[in-house]
This record gives sequence, C-alpha cells and structure tokens, in this order.
Amino acid sequence: MEKTRRLSRFLDPKLLAALSSMEIRARTVVEGMVEGLHKSPFKGFNVEFSEYRQYVPGDPLKDIDWKVYGRTDKFYIKEHEEETNLSGYLVMDTSGSMSYKGQGSMSKIDYASTLAASLAYLMLKQQDSVGLVTFANGLRRMIRPRTGMAHLKAVCNELEATKASEVTNIGASLDLVGQSMKKRGIFILFSDLMDNAEVIIQKLRQLRTRRHEIVLFHVLDRDEISFPFDDTTIFHDLEDESEIVTDAFQLRTEYLRRVKHLMNTFKSALRKSGIDYLIADTSMPLEANLRSFFSRRQAVSAR
Amino acid sequence: MTFASPWFLLGILGIAVPIYLHLYYRKTPVRKDFPSLRLIRLSVEFVARRKKIRNLLLMALRIIAIILVVMALAKPFLGQSASASNSSDTPAAFVVLLDNSMSMGCTHQGISVFNTARARALDILDQMQPGDRATVGLINDPGRLIFPQLTWDQETLKKSISNVPLSMAGTNMASSILPALKLLAPLKTYRRVIYVITDMTESSWQPFIEKYDLAKVEQGIDLVMVPVGDTAPDNMAVTGLEAEAPVIMSGRQVPLKVTLANHSQRSRKARVTISINGERKLEEEVEIEANAVKDTRIMANFNVTGMNQVTAAIQNDAMPFDDQRHLAVRVFEPCRVLLIKPDSLPGQPENREDIFVRFALNPLNRNKDNNFAVESRSAVEARGIDLKNYAVVGLINQRHLEPELIKRLSDYLMAGGNLITFLGNRVEPEWYNKHLIDDLGGAYLLPARIYKRVGNAVSKNVGYQMTDIDIGHPAFSVFARDGSGDPGRAQIFEFFQVRPNPTALLLTRMSHGLPGIVEEKRGRGRSMLVTFSADTSWTNWPVRPTWLPFLHQTLIAMITANELAISSIRPGMPVSATVTGDDAREMLLKQPDGSQLKLAAQTGAQGLVHFTTRDTDQTGYYKILSDAGKRTLSAFAVNPPPEESKLERINLRRIPRFIPLAHEPGRGRSVKEKVSLLRDGYDLSGAALLALLLLAVIESWFANLPTARRIE
Repeated sequence: MEKTRRLSRFLDPKLLAALSSMEIRARTVVEGMVEGLHKSPFKGFNVEFSEYRQYVPGDPLKDIDWKVYGRTDKFYIKEHEEETNLSGYLVMDTSGSMSYKGQGSMSKIDYASTLAASLAYLMLKQQDSVGLVTFANGLRRMIRPRTGMAHLKAVCNELEATKASEVTNIGASLDLVGQSMKKRGIFILFSDLMDNAEVIIQKLRQLRTRRHEIVLFHVLDRDEISFPFDDTTIFHDLEDESEIVTDAFQLRTEYLRRVKHLMNTFKSALRKSGIDYLIADTSMPLEANLRSFFSRRQAVSAR
Repeated sequence: MTFASPWFLLGILGIAVPIYLHLYYRKTPVRKDFPSLRLIRLSVEFVARRKKIRNLLLMALRIIAIILVVMALAKPFLGQSASASNSSDTPAAFVVLLDNSMSMGCTHQGISVFNTARARALDILDQMQPGDRATVGLINDPGRLIFPQLTWDQETLKKSISNVPLSMAGTNMASSILPALKLLAPLKTYRRVIYVITDMTESSWQPFIEKYDLAKVEQGIDLVMVPVGDTAPDNMAVTGLEAEAPVIMSGRQVPLKVTLANHSQRSRKARVTISINGERKLEEEVEIEANAVKDTRIMANFNVTGMNQVTAAIQNDAMPFDDQRHLAVRVFEPCRVLLIKPDSLPGQPENREDIFVRFALNPLNRNKDNNFAVESRSAVEARGIDLKNYAVVGLINQRHLEPELIKRLSDYLMAGGNLITFLGNRVEPEWYNKHLIDDLGGAYLLPARIYKRVGNAVSKNVGYQMTDIDIGHPAFSVFARDGSGDPGRAQIFEFFQVRPNPTALLLTRMSHGLPGIVEEKRGRGRSMLVTFSADTSWTNWPVRPTWLPFLHQTLIAMITANELAISSIRPGMPVSATVTGDDAREMLLKQPDGSQLKLAAQTGAQGLVHFTTRDTDQTGYYKILSDAGKRTLSAFAVNPPPEESKLERINLRRIPRFIPLAHEPGRGRSVKEKVSLLRDGYDLSGAALLALLLLAVIESWFANLPTARRIE
C-alpha cells in the first residue's frame, strides 16, 4: 500500500512537501537556459554537436555513433550540447561500509539514497537534468542526466536496486566520473569517505578545476561520530571483512580525536577549494540535512 | 627480616587472583560490525602500547597489594643489625666503649661532650635485660676494658661509667675495639653488639680504618656508632714548646719555639704567654691563618740553675685542655773548661797547641755571655788548681804528668768529672799505658791503650779520614742532618794506633779501620781519647767548619750526661730512669696537682736503681724528688697529644660496618628506643598496612584513570 502510493521508498511525501518551497541554486554561473532559475553566459538555444567520447556502461545505446564504430571498431558516443538548464550528478558511494546501520532507523546508504532521491525530485521539478552514478571499488552504474519527472523513476529504481558491497576506491571512481562529465554542472557526492583523505581531496580539487560545482555529503552514522562502545570488542570491517579485537573504552578518546581531525581536515581543505562539505549524520532528520544544504546554497548564491 | 607469624606467608599464593582476573577479562570480547576499521586500526596502534603497560602496572599493583596483606599478617621485623635477625628471646652480649680522650673535653653550646657521651652510655646500659651480659671500656691511648670479662651486674657497670674521668690522653681506637671483638667472638649464641660512643674525630679514626679492615669483622657482631657533639667547634691550641738550644746556661738568652695550631675556618689571633716557674715573663700576640700551624720564637732568660718549669699558654676556648703546654728545662751554670797544655820550654815562646780548642769554645775569650769559660794552664801551673771547679778537663799532647796530678785527675774523673785527651808528638805510648792505665788499677784514665804512630805528619803523603762516625752519639748527632757538615772530610796525616777498652765506645774509625776517637764512662764521669793532635800539626780538622760544633757538642754531652733527663711525654705514658743508689733514697713523684707519690725502685747492677711509673695521667709539670723531697733529681712535662686538638669529624660513611645511632635531644626517638629498635628490629606490620592503604588508593585512581570517557 505504502509502496504503491509512493514513487519510491526514498521519496517521503512529508519530506518533499516540506522542501517544496526550496530550490537548488547553482553557486556560480552555469551553462543553461533561463527556463530554469539559472543564469547562462550563452545566448540562444542550440542543439549542436559537441564532441565524441568513449562509451561507458550506462550510456544509452542510441547515442552510439555507429559510423565511427564502423571505422574504428570502438564505441564512441556523439555528444551534443545540453539544452537543459542545470546538470546535476548524484554520485553515490555504494561500498560495504555504507551498509552500516547503527542505532538509527536507516543504514548509511539508505539515508544517502533518500537524500539523493529527494534532491533529484527537486531538481527535476525545477526543470533541471539529473544523473546518477554509483561506485565502490570502481564505477558501478551511471545514468546520464535527463530532465522530466519521468527520469525520476529511473533514478529511484537504480538507487533501490543498488546494494552496498565491496571496498571503497574513491579516487579511481572520481576519475572515471570526471571523464564522463563533459558538461559543467553540479556534482553531489554521497560517501562516508573511507579512503585515503589526501587522495579524495586531490580528486575533488581536480573536478573543481573543471569548473564543476561540487557538494559533498559526508555520510556518517552516530556510532562513528560518538563511538559508543565500552567493552572489549571484536570489530568487524563491513568492507574487507577483517576483524580487530580491542578495548573500545580505552580506544574511544583516540578514535574520536582521529574522527574529529578527519572531519576538520575535509572541512578546511574542501572549503578552501570552494567545495561544499556537509556532514550527513544519519541520526539527524533528513529534513534538517536538506535544510542546511539549501540554506547554504541560498547564502552562497546571494553573494 | 624475620616474621612473627611466618605461616601467613602462604597467603602469598593469593597473587594468583589478580593474575587470573587479568587474563580472564582479556578473553571475553563482544563482536560488533563497523563501517571501516581504518581509523580503529590507527587508534589501536597508538593505544595498544599504553594499554599494555597500564594493564601490567595494574596487575603489578594488585600483586604488591596481596604481598603487603600477607606481610602485614606475618608481622615482619626489619633491622640493619645482625641482632635483629635473631629471635627476640636470644640474650645479648655487648660492650659499651666510651671515648674519654682529651678531645671529648670540649664544650658545645655550654654542654660538655663527655658528659653527653656518659649519659648515652648509661642509656645503653639501661636497655640491658635479664640474661644479657655486658662490659664497658674506655677509648683513649691506650684504651682498655674496665672489666675484662662480661658481667650480668648492670649496676656495677653503670657505676663504673659514672665514675669514668676525662682523660688527657689521645685516642687509640684499636686498643679498646680489638679486645672487645676478641671478647665477643666466642659468644655465638648471643646477639653481639659493640657500642662506640665517640666524638668521631678524624685524627683518631683515620689511622684505625687505614690499619684495620673493618669489613672483615665477623658479621655476627654489630658495630654501632653513637656519635656525640654536633659539629667540630673552632679550636686553637699550643701544640709544641721546646727550647732551641742544646744546653741552657743561666743568664744566657734562649729561643723558645712555641707551636700554635688554629683549627678553624678563619684567621685568628692568639696572645701567647710564657711563664717560667709560675711567673709570667713574656707575652706576644701571634696571628695564625685558618687551618694552619705556626711556629713562633720567643727569647727567654733563665736565671735559676737546675730544673725550671716553662709554660706557654693562650686564651681559653671551647677546648681548654690544649690551651697551655709545659716544658721542663735544666739550666746549667756556665761550663768551666781547664785545658792542660804542654809546658813551654825555657826561652821558647808560649806553647799554643791549645789555641784551636780554646778558640772554638770561647772565640772572644769572654767569661760573660758565653757558654764556656776556658782556662789554659801548663801541667806545672795546674798543680794548685782544684779540678772540681771545672766541668771538663782537657789534656793536650802531654809528655809526662806528675803522679800527684794523675791521682787528682783520676779522683776527679771517678767523682763525675770529664776528661778529654788529645795526643801528639810528645806522647810516649808506654808511659801513657803504664801511668794512666796500668798503675791506676780500676781508676784508670784512658779509654784505650796506645800503640804505635801511624802516618807521617811531616811528609803528609797520606791523609786519613774519619769513617764509621757514630752519629747517634751526642758529640756527632749534630751532623746527622743534611747540610750540617761532614767531619769525614777532615784529613788526619798522623795518629796513634789504639786498642779500646772492652767497655769503651768507638765514636769514629780512620779510613783504614783503626780507631779514631774513643770514649768510656769512668766512675761517674767520662773520658774521651782523640788519637791525633788538637792543633793542625797532625790534622787539618781544627781549621774545618765541623771542628767547633764537634767540640761544643762533646762538652755539652759530657756535662749533661750525668743529669737525669726525661723528655716531655704524653699522658699515661710510662716514665722510667736509672739513678745511682745515693740519688734513689726516698724517691717521690710530685704531680702537677701537688700530690706526691712514692716511686718504687728496683736495685740493679753496680749499685744503680731503676724506677718506672705510669702515674702520668695529668698534664703539667712533674718533679722527681729524692731524699724525701729535699732534692730535685729531675723533672719532666706531660702534654696532651697535638692531634687531639684537631676536632674535625670524620664522615661516618668512611667507616665501614658501623651502624650509626645518632640522636638529637628532643627530636625523634630517644637513645633507649633506638637501642631497642636496633636490637629487636622494626615491626613492619604497621608500615605494610599503611602501604597497602596507599596502594589501594593508587590502584583505584589508576584503574579509573580517564583514558577514555565513559558513555553518559
């Protein structure tokens, strides 16, 4: 009953109603038409050839240029300038660590998926195009940005179908995502960032230099932030299945110091590069996270 | 360490409990999923080492806690001493050695150190328990055990300690400690202790620890040091007094050397007062550097012949007993010497063979202000002279002497006169042997028979030298020091071969072995024979620098030989002398405090009498009287040993094996309590419980140390 009424379990009507007055605003000038709310530096409305690029899984087969295939035996996609206003890329970390579910009602991946679906809904509603990329140890699935509410279903289906598994390799995954994103747009990454921090920051900065708008939701469970363990514990790693025995009580201070240090590192390094860094604490209501996201976007666009 | 309840030590097995708990709690972990162990691993590496140390420390604290509980129940006793390792029922055998040497006589802040020491000794004896045996001894020079055997009689021991006087003697640690060790050595079933109550002066301990290896003392005997007096007070002392003249003639000025010691850390002035026979004669102010000894010379004039008492004193200080020093000097009348020279031949100039002797003894030919008054007479002129008026008679190169003069010379010699005979070219050996030796029987004059002449003084081809000089003899002792001349450098070109009498002393030989100078005691006098001339006809000695001191020393030795001379001694040292039977009548020893003791004499060979006394404990001026005190035979001074004036204390750590038992009045435990603790050891149960309580607090704090915050 619930399922039939909803488009997806990740789209909460109450949440969407609360967010209905909100809009996604690009921080800077993006390519696009005035159909949306975004200013464009370009005049006129063109559908014209832009460039060829190599086929990656997820690209529609209809975009393959068969003439080039006939000449080179390689799949190339013939890209055209988008005629939509804003291209939004929802990049979802689906590594094993995202499956963690602490004391709250949702796992990290469910929480991130809900955030992503909500944002997709809002973006599509305001005539922006939205795409979805899932990755773990590498790219898993990519849905090219499209407009229209009909595309929301494809995004939600993909989110529901994705299961968190494998280890994380954010650096390599971001490289691949970057290659497939030719049009500048907004790049919203949902991840617990369980990888080398320096590499992550470096790759995000590279994306930023390509003039992409980047928003990073650092998805963390309350257990990861407060480490509420008090006994000698065998910790089981959800990514590589390894285990470690330790006295959690004695470890707590040092662990919390490191977590805090890690978050501060991301915060300071990314904000210096103009990347929005937001903590998505799964114990917090989704609405609060989205509100903080939107309030931040509004504050930035008012500048 | 011993235990009153050793079976409680089984409880030490309880340390297994914390070990078990430690291991048990390590083995019950809870399994938990976590997104990624990346940060946990990094944290674990950091914390693991700290955690391990902390856990081990906790385990150690708990083990110590259990050990403390067990020990507290087992009632441990701890003591430095071997006594404490014995059962508390074992009786004790101990020796209390009380230092009563002169250094203990100083006062510190108005309190006599010796009285404090005596009180400590009585405190120790108060701790004597039924079954204990003890004795007491004195540390001075020489020290002794008052009771040679151990006794159970506590009251007698305490009484003897109460009556011990302060000695003016030095300190000889070995003389009392070694007998005490010997006394305790066989008593192996007793707790054996030697208590030494002393001011710990370095001058007394240093020789002892250098000579004896205390580490080798039997381990079963405790050596306990009970120091008295806090610090070494500043002290000045007169440490030496002597007359710098071989003989003192009345009316002649004599330099008195006074040695002053300043045992303090600052320069100080002393006013030295010289008293002669109790009358203050001279005063002089002397400044002495810090920790220094200084000699000062004061010229004194003695007018009274016979024995004189000289005292050098300075102002009193913390140690009054060394602030004065005494000296006994014998003062002689100026020495009259008669030289009998060869008769001058008619028409010839006056014989001057005596000139080198006369000039050496009285260069300015003055009868006043000179030690020797010399008269030269020919044998003819000597007929009417009473020889008794002369201390020494010299015969110089005589051919023959009248029988009457020979008889008078013999009488003179036997009665205590001194004869010195020089030979020469006039001497006929046969006449000398016959008339001066053979015809006189037992009253002969010469110490050797004369034979032929050796060498040739005319050609002077061969020069003989004196060898084998007896520098121990007073006549030559002045040459014993380097740089004081060598009589062996003189050359003798001709001399008489002689054969000394059996009782004669050979003072020198000639370089080929024949006797050179011979001396023999004759009756109460002395006769010396010089085998060569008194002038330069046979030898060049009279013109060499050693001639004058030889003659002076020879004559002084002759005139002082018959006097009973006793040098200054230390307190307690024996005095012994041999006198003639006439002198030995009713001999008395007059002590510095005026009391007179009868001297026990032993008659020996040749009518001589020997006496010895040990009644010399007092410092000061002693007289030996004869004829029931009518005549003073001699005198001597008893002075404290100079090293006793140095009150610097030795560091206790330099004395091996000794356990210190220090006590400050009004602070800490009393001496009695300390003696008891030393004997029985310390009961550690209370300390163990206290430590346990402290440990519990530490363990509780440490175990709850916020290495991480507890979850609220």
